Amino acid sequence: MSESLFIEVSKEQCQKYGEDCFGDTVYTKKIPEERRIISILSDGLGSGVKANILSSMTTRMAMKFVESNMELLRSSEVMMDALPICQIRKISYATFSIVDSELEGKTRIFEMDNPSFIFIRDGKEVKVKSRELSSPKWKERTINVSQITTQPEDRIILISDGVSQAGLGNKLYPLGWQRSGCVDYILKQIRKNPYISAYDLAHGVVREALEKEVEKKAGDDISCVVLYFRKPRKLLVLTGPPFDEDKDKEIAEMVSLYDGKTAICGGTTANIVERELCLKCEIDKTSFDEKIPMASKMEGVDLVTEGILTLTEVYRMLKEGIDKQKDNAAVRLANLLLDSDKIDFVVGTKINIAHQDPNLPMELEIRRNIVKKIFRILQDKYFKEISVRYV
Amino acid sequence: MKKVVVKICAGTSCFVMGAAQIQALEFTPPEDIADKIELVEVRCMNLCKDTTAKYNRGPFVMVNDELIEEATFEKVVEKIREVLKNQCD
Ligand code: FES
Repeated sequence: MSESLFIEVSKEQCQKYGEDCFGDTVYTKKIPEERRIISILSDGLGSGVKANILSSMTTRMAMKFVESNMELLRSSEVMMDALPICQIRKISYATFSIVDSELEGKTRIFEMDNPSFIFIRDGKEVKVKSRELSSPKWKERTINVSQITTQPEDRIILISDGVSQAGLGNKLYPLGWQRSGCVDYILKQIRKNPYISAYDLAHGVVREALEKEVEKKAGDDISCVVLYFRKPRKLLVLTGPPFDEDKDKEIAEMVSLYDGKTAICGGTTANIVERELCLKCEIDKTSFDEKIPMASKMEGVDLVTEGILTLTEVYRMLKEGIDKQKDNAAVRLANLLLDSDKIDFVVGTKINIAHQDPNLPMELEIRRNIVKKIFRILQDKYFKEISVRYV
Repeated sequence: MKKVVVKICAGTSCFVMGAAQIQALEFTPPEDIADKIELVEVRCMNLCKDTTAKYNRGPFVMVNDELIEEATFEKVVEKIREVLKNQCD
């Protein structure tokens, strides 16, 4: 397959009730030069701080080894040697699942002791053959290796046993939710929305697992990682009037020529596009909110919002999580960003003098700064491909 | 009778100066004027950028052709009633 894929990776975790840190660790890394993404989920023995140390050590080591393409069996021996040994079970204990994906389509999965990964293609679960490896040194531990040539719309899902065992002890789920219960749930979600994002799916799985638990209290650390392979979805975000008015037309035309979705953030910017392209723009009252100005509707543009307040709120939500109850302009913009893979920002640098007025009841961020924060977090936390152009 | 056109600025600086409270007219207008007004949300009317003014006089609202500075819900409602009354006379 020649066209390169984009992989949306997202995780959601919930710690065991009463603990104050995660016993599972998820670590994802993008290596742009190699067009490769590695994602690791490790579950440390027990819970709380001890488990956290075991699982973070495991993910860090595993990442180093996989990244440098070290031979797997050898690497896992080193890892098992390095981890402390459980007194009762006499095993060095932290499980792991590693997904090593190249954007051109080849993906390898290495697993030790976690519930096996879930592979979804064409709305069905597909079983993937795997090879078993075991080290002479640690005979009781085996590693499963599988390989997939990924296609657009494939999904790989990793879960910790906190998901498959959710509900244990609950009369309704004597054996827990089980992997099969989780697969059914995932398939149902995909049937409902074939393009459901990795973010929504990972959050859904953890929420659903928690539902099964007695009193909705997590009996173990619950973690889910979703990798969603797809043709890149492109988004253009135009925000702020250009420094030089001569550029107004050029900026507006970017919107009409773009081969993807488009969003405009800023009243003045919207005015420019409206004027230059002779489009009609109307406020969309369904987005009313007391804190965030309403969005507008403009033909051919996917979303039009106010500028600074909306962007500031979007940044907060990208950091702290999206408000599911609301449907204001900021929530819409944040969802649009998360649903996109390649995002091109065009940032106008003209300063709005009205925003510098010391009498305003609150301080307004400078556009350039807030956009910088947004694209950093989109890159680092959500692994989006970002380009920025200042005009 | 012609409806009174109320334009509320939904631009950033008017919004932070309190325009959101005036937008309540949209959802919970006083009964006596509810069906006599037509609300239009507009984007920045550039009034906030007037550098000759000493300080920001937003939020800005237009009731028919009359500009209201430092508008509040009450001020706007009062103005609408006044306009309606004049129309009747
Ligand atoms: S924001 Fe209302 S006039 Fe500028």
